[in-house]
Amino acid sequence: MTSNSENILEIETIEVVYDGVIAALHDVSLNVPRGSVVALLGGNGAGKSTTLKSISTMLASERGKVVTGKIIYDGFEVKNQRPAEMVSMGLVQVLEGRRCFGHLTVEENIIAGAYSRKLSKAEIGDELEKIYSYFNRLKDLRKKQSGFTSGGEQQMIAVARAMMAKPKMLLLDEPSMGLAPQLVSEVFNIVKKLNQSEGVSILLAEQNTNIALRNADYGYIIETGHVMLHGKADSLLTNDKVKELYLGISKQGRKNFRDVLRQESEQHPDLHMQLGQTENTTSH
Amino acid sequence: MTEILFFIEVVVAGLLAGTMYSLVALGFVLIYKASATFNFAQGAMVFFAVLSFVGFMELGLPFIGAFFVTILLMGLVGFCTERLVLEPLLNESEDTVLMATIGLGFVLEGLAQAAWGVEVRRLDLGIGDFPIQWIIDSTGLFISALDLTAGVVAAGLILGLSLLFRYTKMGLGLRAVADDAGAASSIGIPLNNIMLMVWTAAGVVALVAGMMWGARAGVQFALVDLALKALPVLIIGGFSSIPGAIVAGLIIGASEKVLEVYIGPYFGGGIEGWAPYVLAIFFLLWRPEGLFGEKIIRRV
Ligand SMILES: Nc1ncnc2c1ncn2[C@@H]1O[C@H](COP(=O)(O)OP(=O)(O)OP(=O)(O)O)[C@@H](O)[C@H]1O
Ligand SMILES: [Mg+2]
Repeated sequence: MTSNSENILEIETIEVVYDGVIAALHDVSLNVPRGSVVALLGGNGAGKSTTLKSISTMLASERGKVVTGKIIYDGFEVKNQRPAEMVSMGLVQVLEGRRCFGHLTVEENIIAGAYSRKLSKAEIGDELEKIYSYFNRLKDLRKKQSGFTSGGEQQMIAVARAMMAKPKMLLLDEPSMGLAPQLVSEVFNIVKKLNQSEGVSILLAEQNTNIALRNADYGYIIETGHVMLHGKADSLLTNDKVKELYLGISKQGRKNFRDVLRQESEQHPDLHMQLGQTENTTSH
Repeated sequence: MTEILFFIEVVVAGLLAGTMYSLVALGFVLIYKASATFNFAQGAMVFFAVLSFVGFMELGLPFIGAFFVTILLMGLVGFCTERLVLEPLLNESEDTVLMATIGLGFVLEGLAQAAWGVEVRRLDLGIGDFPIQWIIDSTGLFISALDLTAGVVAAGLILGLSLLFRYTKMGLGLRAVADDAGAASSIGIPLNNIMLMVWTAAGVVALVAGMMWGARAGVQFALVDLALKALPVLIIGGFSSIPGAIVAGLIIGASEKVLEVYIGPYFGGGIEGWAPYVLAIFFLLWRPEGLFGEKIIRRV
């Protein structure tokens, strides 16, 4: 049975197609336990954003469609809902590239995040104070036009704005993108704090494997629309081959991806992979 | 002295006419903000709205009743447009939506004429196109009562709409959608509700403009083209700027009257029709983004 109250999100072998022809995801399955942080890792075009947009139903606005498989969020099947409906069910996506409302002030951006909630002016004020307690830096910028804030600040605005919707689950798409290392850790610290203090479950898409796994409980690695490898964040993190593949550090030069994974499965039985599938569909 | 008085009269009449242009341009700006499309149906909406208003009055409804029934009707037009035209085209390009608004214009023109007939109607608002005595007495200026009413009503409506978009939740939603519709949708701002609001507001604007123009020139098909007077206003003011639409409407109104009176005779008169476009072209060369066109914010 699919509805499992321990998992806030369950994805069962979804296949996603854009424009009716371009297959972006082939057989992605993943679970997000309630209250946890799960990292979704992979390179450019791996299918991370597509996975997140399938969950938030933002996919429809890009002519994408889940053609097979199932997505269960909080016990409900995700099917043909609008993004606004998902938001009122407590699921909010922070889109790749931050996407602040450039002409609105920082505070207006954050308030816009509460659009789906019926709050009085006083309640909005209280909520804002709570948000600013996590995002101290934004409080001083509240009257500034968000288009003129820095990249790191915009990423914080985007997360703060999403938190204003009081989500049970956040989908974060590459929050580290284009940020200096110090800002990346600042953003991740806040995300981790939100997870721990507000209990919000998080599915985090990242190319920055290292920082993502250090802040996650569990990780999935996807390539060309297939889940290649998944396991506890610390076992993935301490795994040399994962580093080799995703940080581009290799002593013996670049190896065939499948060979590396095959070796891994022999050495680390706690990591799971889907090699059979890959061999049939990936051709070089 | 009378020279100066006359000049002031011309400018004031121009500014009052200009508030109407501002108002109609505002209708365009709202829709442009929400869907990044120039609404070619706006002229047809003016015609449709005021013809329906006159039609309801002929059916025996009182003025106020006909006014509100027409506003409801324009809300319905907005609803149908959103459901039947915009929603299915939500993921299509802006060009496709543009073509759809042209089609919508034809549909509204056809519907209006099918429902209410094709003959020119008279619309009597009970306000004459005569100078107001107390203004003549106190300042010596000859200002038409109809011009003044139109100007005041348009200014009031513009003020109301601006406040609505600045200070209400819906207004915040619209400004968010105008900046980034995808991001707005991702945080739960329902795009379809915003569209419905914007089209209804544009419908109200169309009705008021139609009533003011119709009272002077008769309720007729030519109103469709009058709405296109907003085009030079939009070029000067910027397609997405509410203050731009307001100021540019006043500039066009005043300068077109001044040019007509002082330069028109050298061209054999009737330059009101094309002078705004010439003005707009010069403007385009000078400031392509428009007077208040929102500067594009880009960061690296
Ligand atoms: N709107 C779209 N229309 C058609 N194809 C798309 C669209 N968006 C993504 N794709 C394709 O789907 C595949 C997965 O893309 P996706 O954006 O999900 O990757 P990603 O893992 O998020 O990559 P990145 O790290 O670069 O953001 C890619 O091959 C991409 O070209
Ligand atoms: Mg992506």
